[in-house]
Amino acid sequence: MTGAGDQHEEDRLLAAEHVLGLLEGEELARAERRLETDAAYRDAHAAWAEDFAALADEVAPAAPPARLRQAIERRLFGARRESLLRRLGLWPALTAAALAAGTYAVVTNLDLLRPDPVGPGLHAEIVAEDRSLVVQVAYDPSEPDALRVSRPSGEAAPGRSLELWLIAGEAAPVSLGLLPEDREGRVSVPEELRPLLMQAVLAVSDEPAGGSPAAGPTGPVLAAGPVTTL
Amino acid sequence: MSRLTEIEAMIARVALGDRAAFGALYDATSAKLFGICLRVLDNRAEAEDALQEIYVKVWHNAGRYQVNGLSPMTWLITIARNHAIDRLRTRRRAERRAGGDMAEAADLADAAPGPEALAVAGSERVRIEGCLTELEPDRAAAVRGAYLAGESYADLAARFDVPLNTMRTWLRRSLLRLKECLTR
Repeated sequence: MTGAGDQHEEDRLLAAEHVLGLLEGEELARAERRLETDAAYRDAHAAWAEDFAALADEVAPAAPPARLRQAIERRLFGARRESLLRRLGLWPALTAAALAAGTYAVVTNLDLLRPDPVGPGLHAEIVAEDRSLVVQVAYDPSEPDALRVSRPSGEAAPGRSLELWLIAGEAAPVSLGLLPEDREGRVSVPEELRPLLMQAVLAVSDEPAGGSPAAGPTGPVLAAGPVTTL
Repeated sequence: MSRLTEIEAMIARVALGDRAAFGALYDATSAKLFGICLRVLDNRAEAEDALQEIYVKVWHNAGRYQVNGLSPMTWLITIARNHAIDRLRTRRRAERRAGGDMAEAADLADAAPGPEALAVAGSERVRIEGCLTELEPDRAAAVRGAYLAGESYADLAARFDVPLNTMRTWLRRSLLRLKECLTR
């Protein structure tokens, strides 16, 4: 028979083995799931991570060569910008102005690290590189039909509209409609697009009043940002 | 502002896509993380590749830093260590397939810190090092081998020449004693 104390001890041991990377197969998969769903286990895991990270103090720092930083930045910013623009090459009117404004987006790979505890919903911050336009988007699965949108900075040019786009993977951008004219508002999400939100990038483009006359955006992309789990 | 809060603030700005903050975070932390890559991988070219991947992960995951409850350096060290270990394990699997042996990896894990390293360490570090010295030397080497050299139970069992289940029982007992000491 296993008492509560034994279970606690067993969990602590499991968390230590987990942090050390000693778990494999089904046991590892189970532990990963608990990290998402079990706060006590998560705390035990974090405590060991802190303890063992201190072992890295014995490792002497070593300055990496300067070219590494350039390579990383080229990879993150140079190449990403290029690949987004290539994708947006489908967007006929993506102008040099958007390039000059340094519009960019980051496509997060949500699987890079262990998933965080399942939160109440999704969030995206759509930001122009110079922060002249900032749009916060929140999605609460308990209110599945709309995104809550707030726009702390930036607005449409006179006689123009701001349009919100969802870009899932390599697919062409899909319109989610116009951003509300008010700073706070809602944008409805068709049911078939909801499952795509999780791994999507949201972008805002400048369009004629009332929105793009075409299937895709016709004006420059002013800002973009990845959807992340809360 | 203390250095830790500074790093925390940088991570928060990186999460908002702030490239300048990313540069500052890299400058403040890359030597530490590169040291870890070199230590784990023991190969300069591979450590350089690993460091690139690590900072790409940092950029993409900075938004999730807050929720995992780790201190900023632990978060960064954990990403670096886990990535380097993954690479090392991939390499070992390839070497094993090619008929290589484990001796090289085992050598790496044995290196315990010298007195000088202990003297410069922070309090956290002293705590775990102190507690490790309360274990039998080979048990402490096994814990260190798992963390800094990514050794699996199978690797450790081979190194200490005991059955796998025995190895696990040993190590778990050591971990319990370690926790007891760390929380004392």
